[in-house]
Amino acid sequence: MKTSEFIEILVEDLELENVDLAVDTELTELDDYDSLAIMSIIAIADEHFDTTLTAVQLANINTVQSLMDLIGSDKFE
Amino acid sequence: MGVKISNIEVYLPKDTLSNDDLAIEFPDWHSYKIEKKLGIAQRHIAAEDETALDLGIKATEKLVEKYDKNNIDFVILCTQSPDYYLPSSSCILQEKIGLRTDIGAFDYNLGCSGFVYGLGIAKGLINSGMANSVLLVTAETYSKHINKNDIANRSIFGDAGVATIIEKSDKEHVNEFIFGTNGVGKNNLIVPQGGFKHKDSGGEDKINDKTKSADPKCLFMNGPEIFNFTIEAVPVAISSVLEKNNCTMDDIEYVIFHQANKYILNYLRKKINIDKAKFHINMTETGNTVSATIPIALKDALENETIKKDDKVLICGFGVGYSWSATIIEI
Repeated sequence: MKTSEFIEILVEDLELENVDLAVDTELTELDDYDSLAIMSIIAIADEHFDTTLTAVQLANINTVQSLMDLIGSDKFE
Repeated sequence: MGVKISNIEVYLPKDTLSNDDLAIEFPDWHSYKIEKKLGIAQRHIAAEDETALDLGIKATEKLVEKYDKNNIDFVILCTQSPDYYLPSSSCILQEKIGLRTDIGAFDYNLGCSGFVYGLGIAKGLINSGMANSVLLVTAETYSKHINKNDIANRSIFGDAGVATIIEKSDKEHVNEFIFGTNGVGKNNLIVPQGGFKHKDSGGEDKINDKTKSADPKCLFMNGPEIFNFTIEAVPVAISSVLEKNNCTMDDIEYVIFHQANKYILNYLRKKINIDKAKFHINMTETGNTVSATIPIALKDALENETIKKDDKVLICGFGVGYSWSATIIEI
């Protein structure tokens, strides 16, 4: 998946229309980063990457890049 | 010969907790998201002096207005909020309702899978000749387990009691079951303290939550892990139950999953590829009422005539344990 496409999906599913989201954005610092956002991220990883992200793994991410690294850098163009 | 579900009565506590009520208590909370994403506008909450058994008794009182209580020859009661360690709530209910004394009664401890398990037990009791009319009571008050500062769980769970009659029938209306259990998830939905393992202290290690609502005496839910369990176990359960009943999703008129929350249900529906028109999502007024959601949904769908006589309805419960079960019923 293209990084830009991934960011678009994050913006849509996490309802981050008011955020200028980039790979270095600190996701976990956003106002909207709550338990619903974490659920959406799990769903995105499952639906688009067939990857399971655990609660422990998700507790250790911060930026969009760190989430992409967790999903697997080989899955992004 | 077989069994059928012949009556369902629901009792919801009088007090409600709306999203606006929660927004007053938690000004930083994104209340607008809750109805949109979780599909919950309010929950009914039991009064201080009202227990899950009280809710079950009230639902049964409504039921026996229409159904001869002397037919009932077995009671099974599902709750994780019993009045006492002992005696069993089902025995107290027998006396309060004035049921016969030559009947069986017991409680069992399950959460969101509880209704489907109870239906399976009732079918077994009837088809083996041990009973003719089983009263299944699914009554829950998770509100009493939740810390008042725990906005995530308070926004999801509501209290309810449901009484269901499963009785002998000329034709089998409750088809084959599949069951699932995996204790690997025991710490992901737990009340760590209060049982004999950690009676008055301890159990903090069960909670990976660092917020102020973290309290080992209260309900802890690891939301991400419960979601992971659900998206892994439920699709497999659905294909297994269809296979066991020699049918496909096209043969099913309606699907009722445990009403966990709208987001999880929509995701499961898409993943399993179930037609939106035949998939039940409605917990707007009640929230996630644990073992009560499936019979509430069944009654709701019957009253709205979303399901009609002889329709094949697939039901699936999943949650705390982990524990899950599914079957196909004909109303």
